[in-house]
Amino acid sequence: MTLWAHELRLLLRQRLSAFALVLLALLSVAAIVAGMAEIARQRAAIAAIPAAQAEDIGAVADYVDRTRDAGSAAYYSFHPTWDAPSPLAFAALGMRDVSPFILRVRALGLEAQIYDGDTFNPELALPGRFDFAFVLVFLAPLFVIALFHDLVSGEREAGRQRTLDALPRGGAALWRRRTLLRLALLWTALALPFAIAAAIEGVATGPILIVLAVTLAYLLFWIALTALVARCRWSSVANAATLAALWLVLVLIVPTLGHVAINRAVPIAQGAEIALAQREAVNHAWDIPRDDTMRRFYAAHPEWADSPPLGSEFHYKWYLAFHQNADEGVAGQVRAYREGLERRDRAGRALGWLLPSVGVQGLLTRLAHTDLAGQLAYQDRIRAYHARLRSFYYGYLFRDRPFAKADFRRAPRFDDDTAS
Amino acid sequence: MRIVRLIARDELRLMLRNRVALIAFALIMLLTLVAIASSWSHQRSIADLRARHQHEAEHAFDAQPDRHPHRMVHYGHFIFRPPGPLAAFDPGVDAFTGNSMFLEGHRQNTANFGDVRQSSLLLRFGQLTPAFVLQIIAPLLMIFLGFGALARETERGTLSLLMLQGASRGQVVAGKLLALGLVAAAVAAPAILGLVAIAGQPGALALPMLTIALGYLLYLGLWTVLIVFVSTMVRRSRDSLLVLVALWAVTTILLPRAVPDVAANAVPLRNRLQTDVAIARDLRRLGDSHNPDDPHFAQFKQRLLDRYKVTRVEDLPLNYKGLLAIEGERLTSGLFDRYAGESYTAQTRQNGLVDASGLLSPAIALRGLSMAAAGTDFAAHRRFLEQAEAYRYALVQRLNRMEAEAVSYADDTATDADADRRKRVAATNWQAMPDFRFVAPDGSMLARAALPGLALLAVWLAGASALLALATRRLGARR
Repeated sequence: MTLWAHELRLLLRQRLSAFALVLLALLSVAAIVAGMAEIARQRAAIAAIPAAQAEDIGAVADYVDRTRDAGSAAYYSFHPTWDAPSPLAFAALGMRDVSPFILRVRALGLEAQIYDGDTFNPELALPGRFDFAFVLVFLAPLFVIALFHDLVSGEREAGRQRTLDALPRGGAALWRRRTLLRLALLWTALALPFAIAAAIEGVATGPILIVLAVTLAYLLFWIALTALVARCRWSSVANAATLAALWLVLVLIVPTLGHVAINRAVPIAQGAEIALAQREAVNHAWDIPRDDTMRRFYAAHPEWADSPPLGSEFHYKWYLAFHQNADEGVAGQVRAYREGLERRDRAGRALGWLLPSVGVQGLLTRLAHTDLAGQLAYQDRIRAYHARLRSFYYGYLFRDRPFAKADFRRAPRFDDDTAS
Repeated sequence: MRIVRLIARDELRLMLRNRVALIAFALIMLLTLVAIASSWSHQRSIADLRARHQHEAEHAFDAQPDRHPHRMVHYGHFIFRPPGPLAAFDPGVDAFTGNSMFLEGHRQNTANFGDVRQSSLLLRFGQLTPAFVLQIIAPLLMIFLGFGALARETERGTLSLLMLQGASRGQVVAGKLLALGLVAAAVAAPAILGLVAIAGQPGALALPMLTIALGYLLYLGLWTVLIVFVSTMVRRSRDSLLVLVALWAVTTILLPRAVPDVAANAVPLRNRLQTDVAIARDLRRLGDSHNPDDPHFAQFKQRLLDRYKVTRVEDLPLNYKGLLAIEGERLTSGLFDRYAGESYTAQTRQNGLVDASGLLSPAIALRGLSMAAAGTDFAAHRRFLEQAEAYRYALVQRLNRMEAEAVSYADDTATDADADRRKRVAATNWQAMPDFRFVAPDGSMLARAALPGLALLAVWLAGASALLALATRRLGARR
């Protein structure tokens, strides 16, 4: 034990090491505070939905109440959906800054609504977020390099290496002790703030342990790299330069090259083509016999086929039917688009098996549900909710039931879903 | 001067003998070339794709059959933002903003389908572009080549030897500066050549390109001075390397990420849901066209009846429904403009905070300068959004006017079986509608937007040079 205490005293007496450890702890605290502030802001935005929504839908209800027309109710009512951040989201914000976490939808064509974004400042999103994942993936390796690059070479340059090797409990045991000590301190600087924040945010034990283990493994990877470089027995300066160059390659250059390669190898039919096709399908309905539209709709949805035939006047059930027809007409494109997105994401993750930097980032965003899979899962929940909205309004429209003020309260709510 | 050249030549010879340095230098060159080629072809392909989509959308609009004008208001129009000519050098926020927009009546849609939501997680690690290589990677390479420039001489005691042979402190430092400056020029050369190649593009502008070239030269010059300065101040080359890498990590990696968080917290943005609800609220107060007793629209109607000296809207020479649509669109668009303006102002203030932090990090100053001159910053995106909104408004109002003039009120309100046919307007009208053409800003405007960044970099360079001059005077003094 005294040997360990002695090593600790030695380490902290070096200004560089002490400074580096304090700085890393400060950075991880700052990143975690920033992440928690961002998540608190997102939660507040979600908590503010009901008040705004009640005001908005109240006005629609007042207006629709004059006609009690279910079609007008469906047309003018926007229903909020939201993607509440997971407890771990504060540590890896992922795509939550550029993808919407609140989206209002109507019972009209969903494909014209689901790709809408929220307001965000692109210049702030451009460099990426300052969160725990960033400190771990980008910055922690630099601290490993600062603490480890001269672990052995420093003693050699000072002319102490032979003496140290010859000491009782020196040699390999000494280097092991010094390595473990540095690792433990670095890990604590990252893990302690994270664990405290995770406990405050109510993260389950499983994910916390995984993140702590990943943190340890990632530090070990970089320490192993320093050990590998140290075997070349270069000077401390050469070690530091080589390691910094490796950091540059592994954390910045290869991922950017990978991005170019993946987007080249996995072309995506642009989402804009879905939007164009859906809009053609919607508007084409005005130029074809209305019965063609209804026949096609009833063929796909026989549960509404017993609805009375259309008269010569405009009827919203026809309007909503062709919107749904249009959605179903582009379903193939939607599937292909989504598969393309998932293929790109898989390719990026596959690179994570080779590149620890990408692997850790991918794993953290996966655990936090802030990656593409989290976004797509949110879209799936929107789709399921939208389907419930449709059948709710169809129940009035296709049965010609009036839509009274009280019916606005009967509309399905997004949080009725067990998934959210 | 001869001594300065000699020292510089000696320093360069030493770098050439360092095999790792040579390999790193060659790799950087290769990386720059790959960045130029891939960024260039990527920009070409998205420019082609957007032009093709734009063409398809225009064709589809023109090919619409006879329609009621209000149907066309909802058929709307798709527009695509063409990337700027310098986007291949610095694509800026292009990947983070939607590049297509659906324009329709009484709604303001978002720009959708940005690359950031269509790419793997790797996009958030950075994009391989000439700008990225020069802003982030080039300084680190220069650090590797130059950290020992003077620290090594001090450490080994060769500095006093040099001075004994008659070289003044100023000459030694100038020689090292010259050597590292040549390295910087060599690092920048391929990217600058790439910029010149882009100059051959139609629409490329000379003034912004000069601004960009000047900005990057100032930036690399600044790093040259900073590296020599640190190397002068520090007695051991290892310390010099660590200080410089730390400086690099803080200014090019840490601050560009941390500052936006501060800016986002300092200036809140209203989200879309709150904006939409607020617009609806304001609209109800201004005038509700759905409400027959609404005072604003009752007054509007009365004014019309008075002007044409009739008592019923049926007797107006113009279709009242069309006139109502024009008035409604005028009200909603006014609100759209107001709320969008507030949001743009808030975002501009956020960006202003980030730009001001260029005082802390030259990389932030350079990034702002580079995007502004390349026309790929938020201001450029805002230009697109504002032009899109202006086009949307003009298009919708043309169609509304068409409804007022070419469709009679009797037909427009009829519900008999043939009414649908009588309400329609000839398809030739759609071809007469003007197409959306993005008006790109001129070169002097882009260059002007880059001036603050340029000034910041000049301040940095002046400050660093002054520090170096001070440090030079103390060089070799026993501490």
